[in-house]
This record gives sequence, C-alpha cells and structure tokens, in this order.
Amino acid sequence: MNDLAVFFLHGLAYAGLLFLVSSGLTLVFGMMNVLNFAHASFYMLGAYFALAIAQYTGSFWLTLVVAPLLLLVLGAVVERFLLRKVHVLGHVHELLLTFGLAYIIQEGVKWIWGNNPQAVSIGGFLASSVNLGGIVYPVYRLFIFALSAVLGLGMALVIYKTRIGIIVRAAVNDSAMVNALGINVPYVFMGVFAVGAALSGLAGATAGPLLGVFPGMAGAILVDAFVVIVVGGMGSLGGAVLASFIIGQLQSFGVLLFPNFSLALIYMLMALVLVLKPEGLFGEKS
Amino acid sequence: MGILRVTDLKKDFSGLKVLTGVEFEVGQREKVAIIGPNGAGKTTLFNIISGKFPPSSGEVAFKGENINALAPHARARRGMSRSFQITNLFQKLSVLDNVLAGVRSRRGLRHHLLREPLRDHELVGEAERILERVGLLGFRDTLVQELAYGQQRALELGVTLALKPDLILLDEPTAGMSRQETEEATNMIKRVTQDIACVIIEHDMNVVFSLADRIAVLHYGVILACDAPEAIRCDQRVKDAYLGEEGA
Amino acid sequence: MKTLRPQIMAWVIAAVLALLAAPYLLPPYQLRLVTEAVIFSLYAVSYNLLLGYAGLLSFGHAMFFGVGAFTTAVALNQIGGLSIMAAVGLATLATLLVGLVVGLLLLRVKGTPFALLTLAFNALFFAIGVKWHTVTGGDDGLNIALPKLNLGLAVLDPGNGPDIYYLTLIILGGALLFCWRFTRTAMGHSVLLLRENEERMRFLGYNTNITRLILFVFTGALAGLAGSFYTILNSFVSLDAVSIDMTTKVLLMTFLGGTGTFLGPVLGSFFYTYVQDFLSNLTDNWPLIMGVIFIVMVMFAPGGLSGLGQTLAARLARAKTTP
Repeated sequence: MNDLAVFFLHGLAYAGLLFLVSSGLTLVFGMMNVLNFAHASFYMLGAYFALAIAQYTGSFWLTLVVAPLLLLVLGAVVERFLLRKVHVLGHVHELLLTFGLAYIIQEGVKWIWGNNPQAVSIGGFLASSVNLGGIVYPVYRLFIFALSAVLGLGMALVIYKTRIGIIVRAAVNDSAMVNALGINVPYVFMGVFAVGAALSGLAGATAGPLLGVFPGMAGAILVDAFVVIVVGGMGSLGGAVLASFIIGQLQSFGVLLFPNFSLALIYMLMALVLVLKPEGLFGEKS
Repeated sequence: MGILRVTDLKKDFSGLKVLTGVEFEVGQREKVAIIGPNGAGKTTLFNIISGKFPPSSGEVAFKGENINALAPHARARRGMSRSFQITNLFQKLSVLDNVLAGVRSRRGLRHHLLREPLRDHELVGEAERILERVGLLGFRDTLVQELAYGQQRALELGVTLALKPDLILLDEPTAGMSRQETEEATNMIKRVTQDIACVIIEHDMNVVFSLADRIAVLHYGVILACDAPEAIRCDQRVKDAYLGEEGA
Repeated sequence: MKTLRPQIMAWVIAAVLALLAAPYLLPPYQLRLVTEAVIFSLYAVSYNLLLGYAGLLSFGHAMFFGVGAFTTAVALNQIGGLSIMAAVGLATLATLLVGLVVGLLLLRVKGTPFALLTLAFNALFFAIGVKWHTVTGGDDGLNIALPKLNLGLAVLDPGNGPDIYYLTLIILGGALLFCWRFTRTAMGHSVLLLRENEERMRFLGYNTNITRLILFVFTGALAGLAGSFYTILNSFVSLDAVSIDMTTKVLLMTFLGGTGTFLGPVLGSFFYTYVQDFLSNLTDNWPLIMGVIFIVMVMFAPGGLSGLGQTLAARLARAKTTP
C-alpha cells in the first residue's frame, strides 16, 4: 500500500514538470499554430543555465529565478527575430526552423558542457525527507509538484480572470479578429512565446537535481510533452493538466508494473486516443 | 424517378438551426436552381449533398440510394460532381493537369503506378476535348495561378465536367463576373450541361431564369416553393419573401 | 518538377559517366564517400517525395532507414547462408510492413499533428532498439560478416571498395530512376494534387487517405533500401541508424539541396557528405555548424542550393540580354 502511494507521488512530481513544459507548448500552438520543436530545448537550457549558476554562486534558489528569466529573454528573441521572419514562408518552414533550432541547441550544449550527465546538488531542507503518515518521502519531489501546482493555478487565474488572459484566449480562437480590434497581436504572441519558454526553463531548472543534466534530456521530455498535447488536445490548457497527470502516473506505475515496457504504455495510450478521438480529450474538432 | 431526392433535411450548428426540413427532387437531366437570400442555407445544403459534412437528420438519396453515410469521394464516383463558389483548383499545376485529375479519377487511374498520364493519348485527348468545350484549349500548359479570373471559373466548370457526372452541383458559377462575362458563362453552362442534371445556386436572376427548368426558393431553412420559373415569378409568397426586395 | 531540359540532361549524362568511371579516378577513401553519398541520395529523394512533392512534413524518416539497416544486419547474422540480395529484399519487405502499420495509424492526421506523431514514432523505434539490445546490439551496435555475392558471371566482394560501389550504384541508381518515373505516373500526379488541394481531390473521387498511405509506404520502403545498403557499406550498424539524428540528416540534405526539384536532394546529399567530411576534420562540433547553415538557409534561401542556382542562372540570363 505504501509502495503505491510512493509511486503515485513520484508520478505527481513528473506530471508537474510535464505540465510546466507542455502548457507553454500547447498555448503557443493554439495561438500561433506553430508546434515549437525547440520548446523542450528551452527546458534543457534551463537545466544547464541552472547548473552553471549553481556552480558559480552556490545558490539553488537563485537558479530558479535567473534561469527562467534568461529563457524569457531568449524566447522573446527567438520569436521576434527568427520565427516571425519565416512566418511568411509558410507552415512547413516554421516547423523546420524550430526543428533546426532544437538541433543547434542540442549540439551547442554538447559543445559547451560535453556529453556526460552532470548532477546538481540541492542543500538544506529541500534535500531532506519528511514523514507522511508512515511514508518517508523526499521533500524535493513534493516541492516540484507544489511549485507546478501553484504556477498552474496562477496561470489559470491570469488566463481566466484578467484582461490579458481574455486577449490570449481570444487570440487562441481567432487572432485575425483580435488584431482587428486594435490589439497588437504580435506582442501578445511574443509575450506568450517568451513566458512559455520561461516556464519550460523553470521546469528544466527544477528537473536538473532530480533527473540529472544531460544533452538527451530535451528529447526525453519532448516526446512525453507531445503525447500530452495529443492526448489532451492541441491548444487546450485543461487538457494539458489532465494529460500530464495521466502520463505522469503511467510513467511512474509503468516502471513498477512493466519495467522494460513503460514507454509502450504511453504509446498505447496515444494510439488509443488517435483512433478513438483524434482531436484529443479536450480538443475541438477541426 | 428523380436522380436526386432530398427528404426532410435538417442541420444545426451547435444550436443554430440552418436547415429546418428541406425537401426537393431533381429529375434526370433537369436543371433546378436554388435561390434565396444570404444566410438562407444554400451553401450548407450543397455541402451536405456533396458530403462535406453530414445532416443532423433527414436523407439525401442519389439514384435511389441513401448516400448519407458516403464520403465525398464515394459520391463523386457514383456520378455526382460539384464546383465551388470560391475557385478551388490546383493552383500551381497546369490547366491540363487540373482537368486530367478528373479524367484520371473517372477512369480509375487515381493511383496507378505504371501508366503515365501525359503520355497517354486517350487521357490527354479526352482532357483536351473538355478544355475545348470550356474554351481553354489554348491555355493547356498555363499554370492555373496565371489565368484570368473568368478563365479560372471556366476551368472550375471543366474540372467538374471531367468526371462525366450524371448530376452536377454548381455553386454560384457566375459570382464576381462582369455582365458580359456572365452572359458568356451562362451560354457555356447551357451548352455543356445539356444532358446532365444540375443543381445551381445563383444570385443573378437573369442567369437563374435562363438556365433553370424549375426554381426552388430556400427561405430560413425550408423550401418555400419549388416550381417552373414563370410560376415562381407569380407566386405571392415568394414575392413577399424574396423577389419583392429586388423589385421584380 | 517539370520535364528535364536538354541542358540538364547533358549534365545528368556527364554525371552518370563520371560516376561509372569513379573507381578508376578516385582514391579508396574518396570512393567510399561517393558510395555513401549515393546511398543518402536515395534516402533524401524518397524523403523529398513526401516533403517536396506531397507537402507532408515527416520527422520520422529514420525509422524506415533504421528498420532497413537493422533487418539487413540481423538477417545476415542470424540466417546462415543468406545472400546479400535476399537480406536486402527482406529489409525492404520489413520496412514496407512498418510503413503500412504506422501509416494506417497516422491515416487521419495531417499537417502539424502528422509532423509531431512521425517524430514520436521515430522515438518509439529508437527506444525499441535500445530495449531490445540482445538483437540490436544496443550501444555497441552489430558487426556483420558479409558473404560474397555470386552473380554467375562475376563474384562481388562487398568488402572491396569498387565492388560495393558498383553494386550500390546499379541498385540504388535503378531505384532513383524508378522514383523519377514514379513522379510521372498517375500516382505521382496524384501526389502533387495532394500538395495543392486535398479537399478538391476528395470531391473529384479520390480517397486521399489511400493516396497518402501508398506514398508513405512507398517512400518508407525506399528509405529502408537505402538503410540496408548503409549497413552493407559499413559492415556494421548501430542505433545511430534509427536515431532522430538520422532523421535530421535527411531533412538537412533534402532542404540544403532544395525541395523544389527532383535532383535537389541528390545535390544536397553530395554537398552534405562532403561538407561533413571537410568540417569533421576541422572540428568535433561540425553538427553545430551544419545546424547554423540549415537555419540560415531556412530563413534566407528557402529553395535550397538548387533554388539559389536557379535564381542565379535567371539573373545571369537577364544580365546577358540587358547590356
């Protein structure tokens, strides 16, 4: 019984990371109709920036602030100076650009930090364990889930309760209409893209101490994040929450039940959704 | 027996009732025009007949067979062909390639891995005869995107005819044309559809009265009247609802 | 994608003659590079039938290349007395099957979801390769002993540079010619319709799901054939063959060469092979440079090298006529 609880909590922590990555991915897709293949590379960069900052300053808390800020700037630059330029060339070129960008970031990271996995250490309270009614559980995993839950709630508040949120939701539905209303849609796009990159970077910074920092980490989470937005429905934030939870649990219990085939479970889920409900659980029929 | 029969057709888009019980029938080689104000549901009706989306309820029967469940391609293979209001062609291909797409489909050469259409005199010959009928033989090798608007409309008709259909659905064939172009287009349509049943959506009453054997008036989701042009002209309900506005 | 003009035909004939004479003109190392470029040419041309001709962006082409490469290696290692050509045949058959199964699953998805899911499937095949290390050799890869190929008149030794070169040139050259012919068949024409206007196609009686499935299976099998020869050339295969990097490679080659013409990807794969060879002698970080070249091309030269060439030729012609 206790084992099940532990695996459930493990699943929650991973679902938190997955949500931070896929929420930005799905919002950007909903708004700009661009699937950003480099989105997981922002996650990886977040982890490497955090690694460098932690090595330099020795403060883990600082990494959680600075790494996302760096990614915020990088995201804005990528949207403003790369993505917007190829927009006129069409959809295929936008995808090719983000794919090429992911490749460059991958190779750049290998060049600067090498191929070997690196560990980030956390100190103090975060590194300890707590006793949850008989289960001794590491604080750090609880921290990741709490962080993503707080950010998820914050995101929901912004999107459903503020004026900016109304604009973003309207832009997801019909960006031409919003443009006609005199709102500067390119700025909204840049903003959402940058915030998505920052969230992804924050996920990377928090993932580092848990999963290690290595050049393959982008590819590893990219596929999971893709599954999240396919299962949840492309462009749906609620879908991303539910699908992140499902896939986090599948990953976690998959390791317990079928140690060698945990990945197959996720693909089976995706195939099932594709056959039964191709637009995803929360997606709209095209 | 008619070639097309529409029975109690209803369609609503998430609560918005567009069609509320449409009924009409088209006989062999008969030309039926559907008129009605904007928003009456004409294009929705066309999209349901051609299979773009299914009706909420009711039945579309083609050659006596209920085709509600058939995909657009299956309807096309049974002899139903449609044109589009906004020109809907293969822009970066040649005029000949566009018509060949239809000719190949009718002859079952959609996915043939050996036959080369451009080297096949029979195929090219058939396509050229169609181009001649719509007056585009001289533009055989021109890319569609380089054609003038009127020519693109003519090609739209040619591609629709390439299936040698028993029924064609023409969606505003003269939309956006000048008076002279409209007259030429009307004559061409008359000429090339002699032996084919047609359903035509059209706003231009001159075109409607010169082409149609019968006119159906679609008004807020139902057929108000469906009769010979002269009878429609005299129908008081139609006058009130539609023709009156245009000062007939 | 139009008919070849006489000038281009002359260049093609000259290139074919040069390819035939290559073993007499080139040192062994250079000959090996050419062999590799021919293999990648088929890989890239098959990819361009998807991307350039049908407008379908796939990020999963390496799953076919990898299945072809591994089936060849495993068949030669496990089945005693199997000839090379039988292994190649088996590999092509295996990729046909993979294409059919994956293609059926992806039948209803298009556009961005298609790009995303092909990548996911590529990742799945890579993961299978990693997990199934007893068969695939895992990180160590598989070495294979290549049997000699008895053709009746001559016996070819796949370990010998010129022999494997000619074998590759004849079979893959034949496959390339087949692709060229494919573009002119009814099916090839339908592929172009798919790119231009899938909706109109359906109203003309085409079941476009079938069109896409046939194309997916066909291009997959060609990529599998290329992968099979990649294994034979190296007498070795590793997980690299089925990795996302191998997909990236075909994307770079095809795009660098240009997606607008049939021969663009051939140009691209020769260009890539030689630039990689050149750069990898200078720095270990050559992939980074390759990636930067790619991004710059996507942004500023969307027609690739052949597109640049056409623009240049047009400018020269204009300069000549206007003194």
